Amino acid sequence: MTATCAFFLRRENLLSLVEELAETLEVVAPVRVEGVATFATWRGEALALDGDNLLASPLEFFLPQKEVLFRYVQYSGRYTFSEDAPRARLILGMRPCDLQALKVIDGIFGSEIPDRPYAGRRMSTIIVALNCTSPGEGCFCRSMGSGPGAEEGYDLLLTDLGRGYLVEAGSPVGVYILRAHQRHFEEADPGDFREKVRLLALTGEEMIKRGPSLNPEEIREAIDGTDWKEAGRRCLACGGCSLVCPVCHCFSVIDRGVPDGERLRCRDSCILSGFSRMTSGANPRATLGERLRHWYLDKFVYIPEKTGLFGCVGCGRCSRVCLGEVDRWSPFKEATE
Amino acid sequence: MKMDRSKIGRDTLGGLGGNRTGRAAGAKPESYLPIQAEVVDIDVESSNTYLLSLRPMDEEDELVTVNYSPGQFLMVSVFGLGECPISIASSPTRDPLQICVREAGRITQGIMAARVGDVLGIRGPFGNGFPVGSMRGKNVLIAGGGSGFATLRSLINYIADDRRDFRDVTVVYGARTSQDLYFTSEYGSWQAAKIEVGITVDMMDASWKGNVGLVTSLLADLDPAPGTAALCGPPMMIRAVAKDLTSRGFVESDIYISLERHMKCGVGKCEHCTMGPYHVCTDGPIFSYDVVGELI
Repeated sequence: MTATCAFFLRRENLLSLVEELAETLEVVAPVRVEGVATFATWRGEALALDGDNLLASPLEFFLPQKEVLFRYVQYSGRYTFSEDAPRARLILGMRPCDLQALKVIDGIFGSEIPDRPYAGRRMSTIIVALNCTSPGEGCFCRSMGSGPGAEEGYDLLLTDLGRGYLVEAGSPVGVYILRAHQRHFEEADPGDFREKVRLLALTGEEMIKRGPSLNPEEIREAIDGTDWKEAGRRCLACGGCSLVCPVCHCFSVIDRGVPDGERLRCRDSCILSGFSRMTSGANPRATLGERLRHWYLDKFVYIPEKTGLFGCVGCGRCSRVCLGEVDRWSPFKEATE
Repeated sequence: MKMDRSKIGRDTLGGLGGNRTGRAAGAKPESYLPIQAEVVDIDVESSNTYLLSLRPMDEEDELVTVNYSPGQFLMVSVFGLGECPISIASSPTRDPLQICVREAGRITQGIMAARVGDVLGIRGPFGNGFPVGSMRGKNVLIAGGGSGFATLRSLINYIADDRRDFRDVTVVYGARTSQDLYFTSEYGSWQAAKIEVGITVDMMDASWKGNVGLVTSLLADLDPAPGTAALCGPPMMIRAVAKDLTSRGFVESDIYISLERHMKCGVGKCEHCTMGPYHVCTDGPIFSYDVVGELI
């Protein structure tokens, strides 16, 4: 998208802009919680926008680990229900990979029979993305076509140019924010755009230097040739990969409370043994190898079939958390080398 | 992995006469909020299986009781215990809406503990249903095993109420013992509607004077002419029956299987029911054998 509206924001003005935005909206931004940078509701802390992408993806603010679908209250055998309305929210600092992940989730939760809790949050969330100029060790967004620069899907897009940020609007809402808070901004000059392009190209090259690029088409083919039984032996079935993956969206539903209570939706993982098990005890994906294979097939074959987008955005989080100390992409790196 | 959704579209969804029951195109977002339905009648089908008749509490929800296809399912809630998929056992041509519930786990126990006048939550109908449109004008063979017969009863009664539209109709059904047979009081009405009915049990007992053996042995006796088929039962039975039918000249793409999977949402989001590239809840639960033969 070509920005029709762009400004320059001095580094020292960012916090005062956020302060102003937080007067009317819940602002979610990377902040340090017990020393660890994570997305959380901003309450005046310093922002942790620099460095690698965060381990916990901002998907939490669209599909929380745990949410109340509705509450039920019983009177005389009949029930009265209540649902929470979504809150107006602004997410600051979403990286392009996570933006792409959200687009994939849109294709699943926003299509066919749209998911109302997700759609509600999605519609009421303003996204201020941050182009990635500091990729993490295991990042391969460039191979997946999801970074390091964002092309679309944001209301505002920041690029860190060192002395400040280039801020581009990507939607009418973005333009409105820039206009309403104009006093924080300065005119962007053509050099700022050139600097943005240079930094993103540099970041892309950096990623290539680090290791073999993973070609999604080749991964797709390599899935068939992988020894999944062996992969299953190294996996500890902790489900950590699904927990941090910005595209993983499996969930379970449980009730809590009798006669009054709430129906909760909790994120689940297809890596866990009981995920497909039926009450009869029959389990269509009984072995860990089968479940791992499904995890990759879903991301590289099934989700693309459904949404037209890969179910992996190359954020590398799954490898970062893998307790089996497995680079989750190593079989494919070997295959594509 | 071979994937061919166009095949599904043609063979199952396409045959539905557009009745993915108002939930596909332009469907309203799923809020996961069930409607409340009162249990108006309970029939005991076997020692561990009840047939419950339901009526939505709210008049505006009453469309649910007619706007469905045989083969579709509901997500049924017992508040406090949870929600699970249960196939619809009644035909949309008849009142009331009925579900057949066999005691299997906590939630089904909760549903079976309901008394007349109690309220259950329902969402749906979900899934594609049997392609009754493409079954019209053809021979229909219906084969059920165990509790899988519940969803087929919907189809049988649907056909019985529109009998002239179908050619030869044959029902074969097997259960463990004669005590486990469902809908025994209805076999006579099916026969009266010129539906051939064959029943068998796995184990003989004193009260049983009928067939003993597998469903496939009934096929040998009744020798159904090729046409379309609707199957629901344990995977072993499905494979045996499908193999038998193809040897009789049935085409794999005309053999429709109703599948069972663990489900949490019913709308293709939670991923529990995935089977290869398919979501059993939205792409199924009815699949043609050429599409899922390798996957079951």
